[in-house]
Amino acid sequence: MYAFQKIRSFLFYLSVFLFFIGLPFILSFALGYKFNTHTLKFVKTGLIFVKTQPAGAKIYLNGKLIAERSPASMQELLPGAYKVTLELAQHYPWKGQVEVEAGKVSRVDKVILFPVRPNLQQLNQEKFSSFRIDTEKKVVYYLDQEKKVVYRSNLDANNFEDIASLPDKFSQVNGWEVSLDKRKLFIFNHHQISVIFFDTQIDYEYSATAVFLDYPQEKIIDVFWHSDSYHLVVLTDKHVQVIESRLGALPINLVELNKGGSAAFYDTKEDALYFSDSQRSPDGSFYNNLYKLELSANLYLLERLIAQPFGAVKPAPKEWPDE
Amino acid sequence: MNKALFLKRILEIIPGGLSWSIIVLLILLSFLHPVSSAIIIISFDFYWIIRTVYLTTLLVMAHSRLFRQRNEDWLARCLSLSSDLGFSELYQVVIFPVYNEGLEVLRPSLAALSGSHYPQEKIIAVMAFEERNIYAHDNALILEEEFSGRFGTYLSTFHPDGLPGESRTKGANATWSAKAVRKFLDTRGIAYEQVVISCFDADTCVDKEYFGCLSYHFLTSEKRHQASYQPMPVYNNNIWQAPSFARLVEISSSFCQMIESMRLEKFVTFSSHSMSFKTLVQIDYWPTNMISDDSVIYWKGYLYYNGDYRVIPLYVTVSLDVAYSSNIWRTMVVQYKQKRRWAWGVENFPFVVNGFIKNKNISLFNKLRRSFHLLESHVTWAVWAVILVVIGPLPILFGGTFFSQMAIAYNLPKITGLLFKFTLLTSLTWIFLSWTILPPRPKGISWFKNVILILEWIFVPFIILIIGSAPAIDAQTRLMLAKYMEFNPTLKGNKVL
Repeated sequence: MYAFQKIRSFLFYLSVFLFFIGLPFILSFALGYKFNTHTLKFVKTGLIFVKTQPAGAKIYLNGKLIAERSPASMQELLPGAYKVTLELAQHYPWKGQVEVEAGKVSRVDKVILFPVRPNLQQLNQEKFSSFRIDTEKKVVYYLDQEKKVVYRSNLDANNFEDIASLPDKFSQVNGWEVSLDKRKLFIFNHHQISVIFFDTQIDYEYSATAVFLDYPQEKIIDVFWHSDSYHLVVLTDKHVQVIESRLGALPINLVELNKGGSAAFYDTKEDALYFSDSQRSPDGSFYNNLYKLELSANLYLLERLIAQPFGAVKPAPKEWPDE
Repeated sequence: MNKALFLKRILEIIPGGLSWSIIVLLILLSFLHPVSSAIIIISFDFYWIIRTVYLTTLLVMAHSRLFRQRNEDWLARCLSLSSDLGFSELYQVVIFPVYNEGLEVLRPSLAALSGSHYPQEKIIAVMAFEERNIYAHDNALILEEEFSGRFGTYLSTFHPDGLPGESRTKGANATWSAKAVRKFLDTRGIAYEQVVISCFDADTCVDKEYFGCLSYHFLTSEKRHQASYQPMPVYNNNIWQAPSFARLVEISSSFCQMIESMRLEKFVTFSSHSMSFKTLVQIDYWPTNMISDDSVIYWKGYLYYNGDYRVIPLYVTVSLDVAYSSNIWRTMVVQYKQKRRWAWGVENFPFVVNGFIKNKNISLFNKLRRSFHLLESHVTWAVWAVILVVIGPLPILFGGTFFSQMAIAYNLPKITGLLFKFTLLTSLTWIFLSWTILPPRPKGISWFKNVILILEWIFVPFIILIIGSAPAIDAQTRLMLAKYMEFNPTLKGNKVL
């Protein structure tokens, strides 16, 4: 019993000793102090924390390579300016000057090391005029105006397949977009829209499934898919319209525009069209306004205009097509 | 409020007040002055790690003593003794205070007692029932029929409910029973000096060598009447059946008790323990209105003998039940309540300090040292997990932009992480030792359970969160607000012997 108590007492006092000896060093380290063995004094230092994307970069501090790779911290640095260079094979290096303050952390933690060429990959195999990327389905659509064909592949440049042929009479394509249901696309030029259905299951004449919508009196500026993948929202030089993507469908004028050449953006998540149009002010000059047209619930209602400082935009008269 | 009551309330408020002050102060500091808070947290982390390593070393020492001593033939050593009190003159009184435990709990306890490697004619077994328990008399009859022939004497006592000055506590029942034993001894003409009394929880299964070891230490100890004798509690009765959560908590409890056995200057009786019957009578038995009767009995002895009273550790085991319930959530509640009851031992602080104030024969140094130990152990219990788990990350989370640019903000999680990786090494020691104190795997339990017993230690951080500090804070807050706890025994699982 006595021997055990002696050992225990020794361990107790050893623990107390270690605590009081170790604590000042741990705290001084935590607070950024460095013990200078020459002057026998504590000097307050700072540190640089380096983090890169991707990790594992070599770190040069004032041109000297340090042992650690990123992410890493360089501690006990005397206050001042340091040149930091970060290098990773096959990546562009990062260089910068970092100011170290006593007792503080200088963070270099938003560094992205961009790869050199090897990550550049050609996706297409044949010629194309334009493309669309679908990040959700991870596919790329190519449109080749010359061959009048639409084909697609995955984002790794595999599984190429023709999915649609463009109609012969459609000589010029000003714009195109794949529907949200990924089953069709529209193409348009100044006076015509064509909706072409994909069919990759059976091989038959695509053009037989195409729908043509003619706009002889107006100039089409832009076209958008409604989220239902059935209606098209059309911006012409005179109107904002919606039209069903079926043969013989007639457009509904939602907004009468004051001038041609409006710009537009369509938010498919909310089914809202943002477009610009000009208004005449009381002094006779013209100002541009930006409008928001919500199309999700009531296609014909023109509400919630973002700004109408010089008078409301004029809704088009309801002209219901004959059924 | 009279002076004595005022003093009592002040002393009751001190532990909880201190714990809450530390917690609130550190939380406020994390927001108002995160640098100071970080310095305190790092200091506490470092202290905690040194303490963990130190205590683990003590555990290893206690464990080695347990393994060396538990297989001794203590009876043979007793028989070869020549002391002023002969072994043949010694009697062992064993009281099992029964609250509402059923026969499935009581039978194995008596069976283990009757299987002791000790002359049975020298054992006086006492089942101390509560009169208010409607099954008490029926169970007493059944047990008398089964066990009365196996001991020198077998007694059943029935503690009446609602005696003046008493609370519904285990101590009240044990005291009633001890007084009955006193009458019995008087009628037989047995001197109290010849009697060692053990007060065991109802689920206590003694090791075969326990009474031999107890007798040896009693007979050979200087001032044998000025000591309590404390076995090592293990929770082996149903440890293979208990859920991981409960098993880990109880193994940790056993280890804590083993560690305490190495710190004699702080060692206090806990749960099942033994002492001189003469001393028990002199100090007026166990307290009848306090829940923590097991530790208060030590302090009563300490005050009675003016500080010249100690606890002698016995490196033999008494096995108890792991407290658990039908599902994990209920088990957590059961464990939480049990630990809160243990933490209610904080009621010792006002009792002891009050006793110190009245006692003029104990040195001031000893009074201060023991009071400090008592207060420090309870306050540490209440705050350690809160500081490590809750307050530790606060400076980083709420220190603000300025603090986040400081070197200490960067180093705080780094140093804390590094220090705690170091403590993983001590965890490996605990895992190994826990494996060595397990009883043999019962039939029907898969060998795979051995693997689970090791892997379950990964739940330790989660357990720390649930029952690390919370029960102690709860108990201290209740005492602080004078919302006194009532004795509520823990639900125990079935035993497998």
